Amino acid sequence: MFAQVLFSGLALGSIYGLVALGFAVVFKATDVFNFAQGMFAVCGAYFAVTAISALDLPFGLAILFMIAACATLGVLAHIFLIQPLAGRSMLAIIMVTIALSIVLRAGIEIFYGPQGRVLTTPLPSGVIRIGDLRISQLHLIAALTSWACMAIFGAFFRFTSVGLLMRATADGHEAALVSGVNVNAMNRLAWAIGAVLAGIGGLFLGQLQIVSPELEAIGLLALPAVVIGGMQSIPGAIIGGLLVGLIAQFAGSYISPKSTDIVIYGLLLLILMVRPWGLLGQRELGRV
Amino acid sequence: MSDTLAPATVAAARAKTSPGKWIVRAIVLAVLIYAPFVLTSRSIFGIPLSNMQLLNLGLTQINLMLIAMLGALSLNFLTGSAGLISIGHAAFYATGAMTAAIFGTQLGWPFPLVLVCAAIAGALAGILAGLPSLRVRGLYFVLSTLAVHYVVVFLFQEYQFAFFGVVGVPFAQPSIGPIAIDSPIRWYFFLLPLVALVYFGLRNVLATREGRALMAMRDHELAATAMGADVRILRLKAFALSSAIAAVAGALYAHLLTNATSEVFGINFAIQFIAMIIIGGLGSLSGSLLGAAVWLLLPTIITGLTSFAADSTGIVRTVLVDHRPQLVQMIFGLIVIVLLIFAPGGMADLIAKLRAALFGRRHG
Repeated sequence: MFAQVLFSGLALGSIYGLVALGFAVVFKATDVFNFAQGMFAVCGAYFAVTAISALDLPFGLAILFMIAACATLGVLAHIFLIQPLAGRSMLAIIMVTIALSIVLRAGIEIFYGPQGRVLTTPLPSGVIRIGDLRISQLHLIAALTSWACMAIFGAFFRFTSVGLLMRATADGHEAALVSGVNVNAMNRLAWAIGAVLAGIGGLFLGQLQIVSPELEAIGLLALPAVVIGGMQSIPGAIIGGLLVGLIAQFAGSYISPKSTDIVIYGLLLLILMVRPWGLLGQRELGRV
Repeated sequence: MSDTLAPATVAAARAKTSPGKWIVRAIVLAVLIYAPFVLTSRSIFGIPLSNMQLLNLGLTQINLMLIAMLGALSLNFLTGSAGLISIGHAAFYATGAMTAAIFGTQLGWPFPLVLVCAAIAGALAGILAGLPSLRVRGLYFVLSTLAVHYVVVFLFQEYQFAFFGVVGVPFAQPSIGPIAIDSPIRWYFFLLPLVALVYFGLRNVLATREGRALMAMRDHELAATAMGADVRILRLKAFALSSAIAAVAGALYAHLLTNATSEVFGINFAIQFIAMIIIGGLGSLSGSLLGAAVWLLLPTIITGLTSFAADSTGIVRTVLVDHRPQLVQMIFGLIVIVLLIFAPGGMADLIAKLRAALFGRRHG
C-alpha cells in the first residue's frame, strides 16, 4: 500500500511539477501569476484530442500539433492580455488571467460539449508487477517524460544563449533592454514555454483520467506547488510539484479523499506564514 | 489607478447638494419602491408588460442581486479602498451561512439575532484570515486568502456532512418579530434598506479619519505609517468589517435559497465578486452596485434574448440555445478583459466620463 501510494504520488507529482515549472517560468520572466495555467493544461489535452480524433494525425505529429497550438496560445495571451496591462496593478493582471481561463473554458465547452472526451494514444496502458507493487506503464511514462522535459528545459536555460538571455531578462527587464535584448520576444517565449509545459502535463492528465474542463482543478494544484517550492526558483517548482503530488496521494489514501485540498492548502498557509519565499526560493528583500 | 474615491471628492460631493439633487433622489426612491410591484404584477400603472419588456427579470433575481451587492460592496471596500486583495470572499459567505445554520437551524434563535451572530462570526473569521497580512504582502497575501478559502469550505463541508448530509443545510423561513419574510416582495423590502445602510455606512467609514488612513495605506503604505497610521491594526479592522458584511450576506443568501451546500461556495463564487468590482469599478462603492447588477441580471437578460433564437438551427442554435450558460460565461469573461484593458476604472468611471462629456461636469 505504502509503496503503491508513494509511486503514484511521485508520478502525479512529476506531472504537477511539469505544470508548475511552466508556471514558474512565466512568473519569473513576466511577474505574472497565471491563474490560467490550469486551463492551459486542459487546452493541451483538447488540442491532443483534436489532433488525434478529429484530424487523424499520427501520434508524433499530433504531439507536435499540440505543442505548436499551446505555444501559440501562450504567445497570443501575452500579446493581447498581458502586454496591454504592463505596469498595472496586480489585481488587474491576476483577474485578466482568471478571465482568460473563464473564456477558454466556455469556448471549450461550446466547441467540444461539456461532457468528457477519451484520449486514445498508442502509449502503453498495461501494468508492470514488481512483487506486490503494481506500476502502471502510463504513470511511469508520464513521470519519465516529465523528468525529461524538466531536464531539457533546465539545460536550455543553463547552456543555450537564448536561455541565458531569458534568465538575464527575468533578472532585470531594464538591464536586459539596455544590453540589447528583445525583452518582449523573451517574455513571449516564456509564455510559450509555460503553455507548452502545461499542455504536456494536460496531455498526461487527460490520458490518466478523461479529457474534460474539470482537469483545470488538477492543473491548478500547480499554484500551491509553485508557492511551496518557492516562486522565484525553478528547481523549487519541481520539488513543490512532487511534494503536492505525494501529499495529494497520501492524504487521499490515508485520511480521506475529500481531505486532499485542505492538506495542500493548509501546508500552503503554513509556508506563507513561516517561510513566504518558499522552500527553495530566495528571500525577497526590501518589501516593507 | 483607483483614486476615484479620494477624500476630497467625497467632501465636494457633499457640498454640492442642491434642490435638483433632492428631486432626483425622490424619483429614484419612488422607482425603487414601485419596481417590485411592477415585477410581480408584470404590469406598470395597470398596463400589462410582456416578459421581454421586463427584460425577463423576476423579483427573486433582483433579491439575489441585492445580496450580491452586499458582497460586492464589502469586497470593493477591502480591495478598492483598503488595497487588500482577497480571493477568499466566498469563505466569509460560507462562514455566515454556517453560523446561520448553527444558531438558526439548529438552535432556533430568532432571525435578527442570527444575522448578528453571522456578522460577529464573519468579523472573527476576517481577523483570522487577515492575520497573514501582518507578515506577507501582495501576491503572497492573495494566496493566503485562497488557502483560507479552501480551509473554510472544507469546514463547511465537514459540518454539512456531520449534521445534514449530502442534500445540504436547510434554513428556516426567516421572520422579524411577527412579520414573516415569506414572499419575494417582503425580501425586497427587507434587503433594499439593508443594502442602502451598508452603502451609506461604508461611505461614511471611508470619510472618517480611519477611512482616510485606509486609503492612504492603499496608496502608499510607508507614507501612511510615517503619518502615524497603524497599518497593521487598520488592515485587520478593514478585514473584520468587510468579512462581517460578507458573512451577513452569506446568511441572507442561504436563507433566500432555503438550502446551502458546500459546493455553492466554490472558488468561482469568490471569483464572481472580483469580476463584479472590476466591472463596476475598483474603489468605487457605487460601482460595486453596478457591477453586481450587471453580473446578476445580464444572464437573465441574455436568456430572454436568446429565446428569440429558439427555432434557429445549425451553429447559431448550438451557440445561442444549447450552450447558453457557456455563452454567458464567455460574455462575462470578455467584458472583464475588455474593461481591464480599455477602461480600468470600470463602469463607474465610464459613466462619470460620459456625464462629463454630456453635461460638461468635471468628473472625478
